[in-house]
Amino acid sequence: MNRISIQKQEWDEKLLQSLSSHLIYAPLETEFSCDYVKLEAGTIPEIVYNKPKPVTPLKKFFLPVKENVTIDSSPLLPVAIIGTPNCDVMALALLDEIYLDQEYTDPAYRQRRDNTTIISTDCLSILEHCHCTSYGIDPTGNDHSDISLALIEDQVILTVHSPKGEAFIQSLGMIVTLEPEKELLQSLGEIHSSVLEQLKQQNNGLPGYEETGKLISESEMELWKKYASTCVSCGACSAICPTCSCFLLIDRPGFEKVRQLDTCQYPGFERVAGGEDALNELPERFRNRYMCKYVWKPEKYPMKACTGCGRCIETCIGQINKNELILELSK
Amino acid sequence: MNGNLYKPLKSELIKVIDESPLIKTFVLVPETEFSFATGQFIEVTIDGMGEAPFTPSSSPLETGQLEVTVMKTGYVTDHMHNMQPGEKMGIRGPYGRGYPIEKFYDKEVLILGGGCGFAPIRSLLYNLIAISDKLRKVTLCYGSKTPEDCIYKPYIQELRETPKFEVLRSVDQADGDWSERVGVVTVLLDDVNMDIKNSVVVVCGPPIMMKFGTMKLLEMGYPEHDIYLSMEKNMSCGLGKCGHCMMGKYLACKDGPVFTYDEIKDQPHIWN
Repeated sequence: MNRISIQKQEWDEKLLQSLSSHLIYAPLETEFSCDYVKLEAGTIPEIVYNKPKPVTPLKKFFLPVKENVTIDSSPLLPVAIIGTPNCDVMALALLDEIYLDQEYTDPAYRQRRDNTTIISTDCLSILEHCHCTSYGIDPTGNDHSDISLALIEDQVILTVHSPKGEAFIQSLGMIVTLEPEKELLQSLGEIHSSVLEQLKQQNNGLPGYEETGKLISESEMELWKKYASTCVSCGACSAICPTCSCFLLIDRPGFEKVRQLDTCQYPGFERVAGGEDALNELPERFRNRYMCKYVWKPEKYPMKACTGCGRCIETCIGQINKNELILELSK
Repeated sequence: MNGNLYKPLKSELIKVIDESPLIKTFVLVPETEFSFATGQFIEVTIDGMGEAPFTPSSSPLETGQLEVTVMKTGYVTDHMHNMQPGEKMGIRGPYGRGYPIEKFYDKEVLILGGGCGFAPIRSLLYNLIAISDKLRKVTLCYGSKTPEDCIYKPYIQELRETPKFEVLRSVDQADGDWSERVGVVTVLLDDVNMDIKNSVVVVCGPPIMMKFGTMKLLEMGYPEHDIYLSMEKNMSCGLGKCGHCMMGKYLACKDGPVFTYDEIKDQPHIWN
């Protein structure tokens, strides 16, 4: 593990230089939210570091809402994404399992993954509904990103996890690299512990991932009917979810195909030509998404299909709180 | 396989065969050789209109052309039924897990089919005829709504003249000329004489037929792991990614479409 400490001002200068060779995205505060924005020279000092969950999940960089998948994409400038929380990085690991499987590697996804360096940030605070630790995900750094970053006391501490991360650091021309001071690492460790404690308190009583799967698979339909009573099948929970990645293929003239993100929350998702539709009833559709995340996906893939970001709770116009549902199940 | 997973292989429609008032067989010649294993499926693209999954009904031993037998039942199939020889379709695949033919060796094979479910079965029969020296016998039980709806009539005759092969047919509603069984397809199971311990069963047809057919086979004593079901789900991408054909922990397009009953009996929505 290669660890580097650099002054924030110098880091900003390096990023400024790399704008000529990279497209760089990072979270910025706007009037209404904190979300990924393509950086320009003037916005580099405004990057929001170490704050959980930009409004949109990381998947948007790899699975656009709509794209023509039969046109080969032309090479682009390399992309760097800064400020990704670890819930999103771990969600991407699941998407990699699906889209980069050896038998059928998705060409557009592959190209974007290869072209993109992910610089995650440790979450040094928590937001309402954050519950990653309940599912065994560490909000303070992991090795699934290319580089992880923590900003503390005007020092940027970078930990390199992959050859792609190494190449990005080299492209910045960081010739002099210093080990972070012990005192700095100690303060960082103290903040990490505090974040873990806050998450523990916030999610007191929330069952773990496997336990939740068991509870859901043994649940009665009445509970799903109750919580689905305010669901309007808008699909926002899936759109905002970092692991939901189902799609629809739409045909265009010239034997072209457009991939559009889709969700089992929409009527007709499983309908077959003869008219049968296993998910015709709304409570069935509503339950299906939970079954997929906590019961079926974990049987198929080694990654977790809910990484505890809590965005689905925040986005739901029916005010359905996933964690309240799971807590009720556990009673 | 093409370089791009989503790009269909252009194929010329060279012949359209009317099988019944609602079912036609389309004979396609792909631009390059195309092979599949029996029971695997392909995605057929109607340019600019849509795409739908079909299991080829032709012999898997033929690589120059292939056939799909299609019931007119929705947007894509309506367009297909209006197409003429000379027009182009696109195909992607083959996808999924087909019939494990080698597991049928030294066995009696019972096949239960209904309606357009005969299409994958015909492909399987072509394959079984080619290896009939390795099989004990093959009994096909095929049901359709009316005599007019029975498909592959010339092929049925051919099959009846093939050693080791037996064909039983039923219709839900008969007319004056019908001399075979009347009733839903499961009535034919009362007429079969199989060595259940040394048999495998293949079931393919509309979901309701598959459900009641499987229940009756289980009652008759066929083991769950010897009943092969070809599942009809909304297989859209064929690549195990789009999620439309999810059956619990399985994706029908990649883990199927052929499953044994014991593999899927505990999964949700298998019959609808």
